[in-house]
Amino acid sequence: MRSPAVAIAWEFGRRLRLGLIALAIYAFGVGMTMLFRVQMGWPVSLGHDEDMAALVAVPVTTTFMYFLGVFSFGFASDLTARESTYPARMFALPVSNRALTGWPMLYGTAAMMALLLLSSSFVRWETRGILGRFVLEPWGFDVPALWPAVLAAVFLAWTQALTWMPYGLRGLRVIVAVLWLGMLDAIVFVAIHYEIPESVMIAFLAPQLPIAYLAAWFAVARARRGEVPDWRGMFARFGSTARVRRRRDPFPSHERAQVWFEWRLHGWSLPALVALVLPFELGLLFLARDEPPAMTFYTLLAVLLTPPLMAGFAAATVSKSNPSARDSYGLPPFTATRPLTSAALIAAKVKVTVWSTLVTWLLVLIVIPLGLALSGTLSAVVGQVNEGIDAFGRPRIVVVMLLGLVALMASTWKRLVHSLFLDLSGREWLIKSSVLLALSLLVVIWPIGNWIHDNGNVQVALLNALPWVLGILVCVKIVAAAWIATRLYDGRLLSDRTLVTGAACWLAAVLALYVLLVWFWSTPHVARYFLLLVAILEIPLARLSAAPLALAWNRHR
Amino acid sequence: MGPEPVIEISDLTRRFGGKAALASVSLSLPRGAVYGLVGANGAGKTTLIRHLLGLLRAQSGSVRIFGLDPVADPVGVLSRIGYLSEENDLPGWMTIDELIRYSRAFYPAWDDAYAEELRRAFGLDPGARIRNLSKGQKARAGLLIALAYRPELLVLDEPSSGLDPIVRRDILGAVLRTIAHEGRTVLFSSHLLEEVEQVADHVTMISLGRIVLSGPLSELRESHRVDGRVLSLDEIFVAHVGAAAAPGPET
Repeated sequence: MRSPAVAIAWEFGRRLRLGLIALAIYAFGVGMTMLFRVQMGWPVSLGHDEDMAALVAVPVTTTFMYFLGVFSFGFASDLTARESTYPARMFALPVSNRALTGWPMLYGTAAMMALLLLSSSFVRWETRGILGRFVLEPWGFDVPALWPAVLAAVFLAWTQALTWMPYGLRGLRVIVAVLWLGMLDAIVFVAIHYEIPESVMIAFLAPQLPIAYLAAWFAVARARRGEVPDWRGMFARFGSTARVRRRRDPFPSHERAQVWFEWRLHGWSLPALVALVLPFELGLLFLARDEPPAMTFYTLLAVLLTPPLMAGFAAATVSKSNPSARDSYGLPPFTATRPLTSAALIAAKVKVTVWSTLVTWLLVLIVIPLGLALSGTLSAVVGQVNEGIDAFGRPRIVVVMLLGLVALMASTWKRLVHSLFLDLSGREWLIKSSVLLALSLLVVIWPIGNWIHDNGNVQVALLNALPWVLGILVCVKIVAAAWIATRLYDGRLLSDRTLVTGAACWLAAVLALYVLLVWFWSTPHVARYFLLLVAILEIPLARLSAAPLALAWNRHR
Repeated sequence: MGPEPVIEISDLTRRFGGKAALASVSLSLPRGAVYGLVGANGAGKTTLIRHLLGLLRAQSGSVRIFGLDPVADPVGVLSRIGYLSEENDLPGWMTIDELIRYSRAFYPAWDDAYAEELRRAFGLDPGARIRNLSKGQKARAGLLIALAYRPELLVLDEPSSGLDPIVRRDILGAVLRTIAHEGRTVLFSSHLLEEVEQVADHVTMISLGRIVLSGPLSELRESHRVDGRVLSLDEIFVAHVGAAAAPGPET
């Protein structure tokens, strides 16, 4: 390597290696699935939006996010810190600020443009092959050729500039980045809505690249000089008062202390994520007031589904014991040497996920009526609810709404804890493999789902086999839970009393859900045993009880 | 029959991939002394300490602390050990006050007056965030929470790596001496032989995962003389391990 440009390119190549391998495996998986379908005599017609979503949208979105993380050095840094996320070790290199800023931005924007240009070419491609069974048609609507690629490059350049900038307050980087990039997105959505010509879009986007470069150069120069603004003094008086008050109040038990620790680490992750997204979603209500009521309900549905969706992302932070530790997957010695059992450490995490879920939903339940009232769409919602009351009666509607809320809250919590058993294992290979497997399954499930959707006979066969499928899944779940319980008992991770109490609580929860399902679906078309199987599968057991086992595996390597 | 040893390791072996980090290590440390574990970087000191804390599971052999298995009974062992990590991984978001408040909840024997005395002696501001402290101050904060409940066994992994020489001599030396006088036990690892020589009663030398020498410091000195001159610990180490594996001088 004879120049800084080549050395920096080599480093990005090393960082991207795993992601590109994953992308190649993904492409190989998709190709093999298509080939299998063609070989089996089933025609493959890739003209549907759904197929294209699986083939293009999922990998492009994932790769887009991956590129953002890699080229902004975001994966290896604390985004909430005041200091620049640009690696400090690179400041000692004998290269100019222009080179430190320019090469990563050039490589990143080039990679982004290549990704978007390739994908937009793919969705425009038309071909027929393999005895006419493989048909690739252009996407259902006209995809612009160039400006999405420029937008992706601009998005990356601004992400680099905003993340490399030192800030005066902790967490300010995240707020500024979300607001700025969200605004950029909003402008683009408006442009799409009004069908602005491609040349105008490029004229709007392209000049932002040099501006973002200048901002990034300024950020890197400041960070290199060690200039980090400090605005904490403005909050010092409030902070010191709060600290004095807290100092007088020791924790009544070590369990409470650990819950406090977990809450301070992860408790606000989900409420903060949801709070960042809600204003944009509720902003749509202002657009929806002049539209049919269905638009309002779609917006409300999106708002209500936001906490469970965001919980999937927040789960990754909940599992990490110390995001800023050198080995962020492993358990840092500070936590591992607490005189607590692994089960007690997990219990604190689980309690925090419950509180986090409740705080998130409290926020959502406060903000929704406010958004409806301010946007003038409240009357449409009240009207629909009144119609429901007239048709089904007030008690039934109230119960249904409450049950829906409880189900959404339970789903949010479940998504927060469902991957603890993997993430707390501390094994990077296991965690990354599970993510890759989940993405691969997504790819396979989508075309299979379409095939089932288009094939009536298959649907009938599947419906007939559904009780058997559920029965097998229940068997797998129970066997896995029994094996885990044995391991927990043998490893003295849980006492026999705790295991029996846990099993009794799980059974009570299953029975409660079963009774609820029977009450809700009191129809002869759905067998009772089917509802029981659903209840058994819905209440978490095996994965949650495997969490202490995973943590112990991580803690005592 | 002597008192039950605080640390009892027998035939402990640990491999990372193809490399043996510890090879058939056996060690028995009685109560009430300061033990220095010395060796070059990568000799296996931290791996051995991580086994004592239960952070690593013995692949073969056994580890007993106070007669307990630290993996099977982490609460029983860890509640009696004070530990200062080489990594200094205290949560950066905590203030000193919060760190003390959080840590005291785990130890019934936590001594508030002693904790406050240490905080003042170490010059730690209760409102300061850990992330804003210097490396030396972080080490002092870690030492404070490791000492404040007067643990039966204090384990320090390279404690002086962040401390300046004055702090090392005045604070670390004095603290370790006090603990030993109170009948408690200290095990500390270091690659600075001069420092170990000043503080430790017993020395265990480790090289390439094997214990090459272990015993009371006075006996080691007496048994290592050249032309009537008592050898320094540095010279003893070189004599047993070889100059190539000797710990580097302090810089």
